[in-house]
Amino acid sequence: MLNYLDILDRANNGPYLSEENWDLEKVAMTARRLVKKYKLNWDKNELVTDDASLSESIFKAGYEMAVELGSYSRSTERVIEISQDEIDNGIRNMPQTVVMGEGKDARTLYARHLDDERAPLFFGGSPGTPVPERIFLPNVISYMQEPLIDLATCGTLVEVDGREVRTGNPIEIVSTRRELQYMRQGLKRVGRAGMGMLAAQSSVSELGDLAAAHPDYLRPCDSHLVPMLNELKMDHRNISRAVNSLEYGMVNASLPCVIVGGLGGGPAGSAVINVASYLIANLTCLADYHILHPIHVRYIATSTRDVLWVINATAQAFARHAPTIIVSDIYPKSGAGTKELLYETAANAIVNAVSGGHLEGCGSADGNLPNCSGLEARLMAEVALASHKMKMSRKDANAFVLQLLPKYEHVFAAENGNPGKPFDEVYDLQRIEPLDFWQKMYEEVKTELKEMGLKL
Amino acid sequence: MSENVHLQAIANAVIDGEAEDAAEATKAALEANVDPLEILNKGLMQGAEEVGKRFERNEYFLPELMLAGRALKGAMEVVKPVLIEKYSAADNQMKGKVVSATVQTDIHDIGKNIVSSMLTAAGFEVTDMGVDVPIKSIIDKAEEIEARIIALSALLTTSMPFMKDLIRLLEARGIRQKYVILVGGASVTPDWAKAIGADGTAKNAADAVKLAREKIGM
Repeated sequence: MLNYLDILDRANNGPYLSEENWDLEKVAMTARRLVKKYKLNWDKNELVTDDASLSESIFKAGYEMAVELGSYSRSTERVIEISQDEIDNGIRNMPQTVVMGEGKDARTLYARHLDDERAPLFFGGSPGTPVPERIFLPNVISYMQEPLIDLATCGTLVEVDGREVRTGNPIEIVSTRRELQYMRQGLKRVGRAGMGMLAAQSSVSELGDLAAAHPDYLRPCDSHLVPMLNELKMDHRNISRAVNSLEYGMVNASLPCVIVGGLGGGPAGSAVINVASYLIANLTCLADYHILHPIHVRYIATSTRDVLWVINATAQAFARHAPTIIVSDIYPKSGAGTKELLYETAANAIVNAVSGGHLEGCGSADGNLPNCSGLEARLMAEVALASHKMKMSRKDANAFVLQLLPKYEHVFAAENGNPGKPFDEVYDLQRIEPLDFWQKMYEEVKTELKEMGLKL
Repeated sequence: MSENVHLQAIANAVIDGEAEDAAEATKAALEANVDPLEILNKGLMQGAEEVGKRFERNEYFLPELMLAGRALKGAMEVVKPVLIEKYSAADNQMKGKVVSATVQTDIHDIGKNIVSSMLTAAGFEVTDMGVDVPIKSIIDKAEEIEARIIALSALLTTSMPFMKDLIRLLEARGIRQKYVILVGGASVTPDWAKAIGADGTAKNAADAVKLAREKIGM
């Protein structure tokens, strides 16, 4: 069994390689070669695939990449070599269940299989979105109070007591602890104090993460992010996050945000990198579960055709060949108070539900603005549950998503995106309920989805 | 071999991202007495522009941009001494020196890499300092290489304030007017760029190149 200190040793003493050569000669060239070797292609009209051999090829290609490349430490410019046996052990040891939260509010995340009888779980919140302090608490409550939401997440505090938060500055400690105080306060307010969280989102460097590892803030039954850098890289900061969990506990959520259109080239190469990233993250991030969050090189959002395909391909590769716990971030282009946000959310929810993922969301408006609310998370859960209960086939899921795309794809060409409105302009902050116009839009979209055949 | 054939071979090598071919084709063109300025403008830049267009059309991705950047760099090493020898103001043909960096505490590099590659492909001489770069180091590098443009990137909202700090530090040192400051990143808006006193921002890499050209009068 690989000791985590071995990872540190390898990061410090592995073979030297310039970062540019890692990116180009190793990652990009290997992705290109494997895409050719396994004849991997994507079809912009087949975003939910049902092709066992394609899925097998994507898994094999990702496995080959992980064994061949290992990982890379940006801090030391050294390759973190990982053997095939270690990759295999990592796969064997991938947790199949993880309990998050405590008491009556605890939930068990599980490794979903394809066509799993068990329903996916839902994290509610706008992960990592910059949110001003004055609306932070009502914003997180808007998700926590939703009955279908199982687990809580949140945005990032960008100011505390009127002071601008800067990463790596002592104020990051204050902001991360303040975030956790609001989260715990919010959970108590909605009567779900034991609900598990994926939090410390205000910890952009390792500082906040270290400062929040205390039962008053982030409990051992909660989870935190251990990000990988693009692509297949770690650094001392993120290794510190993993180390921080060694004795204290906390559930480690690996976060490789593979760039679709980046070093992997198109969607096929990006899916291969995503698979390899999880196999590496088992060891370098000590992952208890994996966040699935491919990012579009131009549009960011997870609702573009190519990113939806990568989500489907990555989740299915694991669900079919090495089930592990995958939680998919939903990051729509559009923001709260727009119908497009709801269509984008529905498309993401269906793709994930039939491909083997749990869901987290929504990072509305690309997670760039506080234009997010609990209402879209409600729809995310409702749509995913409906498709699950209907036992929607992947073929039908694909047909459904293809019908949704024309309803929102225009936002990618819009000069300024489709940011919608801030939380305090779509929710009543006293009652923490959607304003009438936003509620009406939601009802209208739900009616449309029902007319399209979804049993909501 | 005609001049056009030489120039096309250079452009093709850049488009294909073949560094050795680009250097060889440049050498061959020089040996055939093709004017070095023609090599720069009608060979290398022609190829670079095509690479940029293909990236915009989703036909090329980041690796192709990086490979083209390498090919361009290799060929420039061959042609630059000849250019300088023949044209006293040859450095001006390089369109301007750029220092690019993701500011301190931010470790995201893809957007910055794309912009750096596109600027290189457009003929700028780019010194890419990488990620998590202290603002003092960025200014020192800009001073050292006599850059015209400082291009700053930050994805994280909580790292963006360091861009403002850099501008304030330039002002404090009395050298703000020497530089065009361009800022970018997913959360950077034109209003924010204006508010911190930057000279501009762009919504994508192609627009960043246009903006850089415009700001230094190319």
